Amino acid sequence: MQRVVVTRPPLDGRAPSQRPSQAPRPSLQPSSPDEVLRWIEDGRIAPPQAVAYLHQLEREPAPETSDDERQREREIEAALAELDALIGLHHVKRVIREIRAYVTVRERRARAGLINEPLTLHMVFTGNPGTGKTTVARILARLFRALGVLEKGHLVEVERADLVGEYIGHTAQKTRQVIHQALGGVLFIDEAYSLARGGEKDFGKEAIDTLVKQMEDHRQRLVVILAGYRQEMAWFLQVNPGLRSRFPIHLTFPDYTVDELVAIAHQLAGQRQYRLDPGAEQRLREILLALPPGYGERLGNARTVRNLIERAIRRQAVRLLDRPSAGREELMRLTAADFDPAPGPGEGWP
Amino acid sequence: MRTALIIGQANAGKTLFLLNFARYLGVERAEMTVQAAEGGTFTRPCHLERDRPLLVGDEPHTTRCLQSLTVSLPGRKRARVVVLTDSTGLLDGIDEDRQVRLAVAQTLRALRLADAVLHVIDADRVGRQGRGAIAEVEVQIARYLPLRAPYAILANKMDLPAAPRGLLTIRRVFAGRTVLPISALERTGFREVRRFVARYV
Repeated sequence: MQRVVVTRPPLDGRAPSQRPSQAPRPSLQPSSPDEVLRWIEDGRIAPPQAVAYLHQLEREPAPETSDDERQREREIEAALAELDALIGLHHVKRVIREIRAYVTVRERRARAGLINEPLTLHMVFTGNPGTGKTTVARILARLFRALGVLEKGHLVEVERADLVGEYIGHTAQKTRQVIHQALGGVLFIDEAYSLARGGEKDFGKEAIDTLVKQMEDHRQRLVVILAGYRQEMAWFLQVNPGLRSRFPIHLTFPDYTVDELVAIAHQLAGQRQYRLDPGAEQRLREILLALPPGYGERLGNARTVRNLIERAIRRQAVRLLDRPSAGREELMRLTAADFDPAPGPGEGWP
Repeated sequence: MRTALIIGQANAGKTLFLLNFARYLGVERAEMTVQAAEGGTFTRPCHLERDRPLLVGDEPHTTRCLQSLTVSLPGRKRARVVVLTDSTGLLDGIDEDRQVRLAVAQTLRALRLADAVLHVIDADRVGRQGRGAIAEVEVQIARYLPLRAPYAILANKMDLPAAPRGLLTIRRVFAGRTVLPISALERTGFREVRRFVARYV
């Protein structure tokens, strides 16, 4: 799977250069209300046009809906909106929309008395740390609940140590317990490849076997997501062919580009009601570009940015402590100086 | 809980209406839930009188997020709890500031989920500048929204001299929609708004 490149406006916080009057109309019609809203955010269309599109989309003959269904519809909307708010990950977003469409249409087919394949939504997520795997899993859990696939829609996040026991017979028991907790929700196994690391005699093997068995037994009540580094996961699935066939959906989480990381920084700052001034953005970009090569693979990506932002927020607090007169704007602004590592030991890379 | 969303152009007086209307309903201090346009949500305690200068301003786009107050309306049997949500000002063009664009998209998203919509229009400005002071997006919303949710127009700033003329223009442009003249500052016309909210939310 490769990255899908979608053209988007510059992420530096400025609108594209065209003014509304000359802005070319998007040649495509929007396919969903969410797309319309995204176009506004990107500065591609003006609000009046957006409302017209929304109107148009809403006028599609919607079947009469009960209050219950409306509530469900809202939850689906909310989950998808949260997904859309994530920076980048275009491919992941597209696949999730496909899944959503598939589940809904499947339901309609069932109502029309047509045959449906059994629904298997177990997935494999591959990507480096900090590329959004857990975040997407959490959103998926909510989405599946809204779609009626799962009853509870919670996320149980485990790793090898939570599944593998200490003595013979312990592993199966422990794994079953974890799965029991996850019923009705999503079981997210981080660094799943480590279950196969120890070879034939390792208890990890037993955990895998129990997992497969339980997945069959609770097919309707559980979605399992295996996550890990790309190469390790490829190897893992290769040595466990039984797993590969049971996990039909594979999602690749690419490393973020520097532009995307800067956009994430703006978003993270915004969520905390801070904003980066142009100098700060420039400095952040320099810091990210100066990270040693391969840094993202083991340590970083969005998590690095989050740490940088949190450090900058503390730094800004120190800067403003002695200036009680600072106004609202000042209290929100992060400057380049806030991103500089402090001199002296103890402050390396975030 | 049901939500009533307050929309309108920048500087129409949305936030002042929220604060004074909540005050009118007997709320003095409340937890204000703030949803930043980028997605973060937090709550902060808010004193309706004292914090007003922080939240209300002459600069357009003082509010760039959704901020909600929970109020209770005395009903026939028991008080009903309603969330009043204030939003970022709508505008026709594409703003240069990405934050404002995010906030506008957030407002439209909230519009699709609201149980009722209160649309605040600056009647004084309409009185002074005529039909042109009503944004295209407002006309579009008035056309689109009543199909989805109960919708009322609040002609605000009725305490100002040009407002009565503006009210006539608003009534003409939005013929067929509920138009309630109010003054958020002087707290007039609130009774009709309360009745509307109590009936539809």
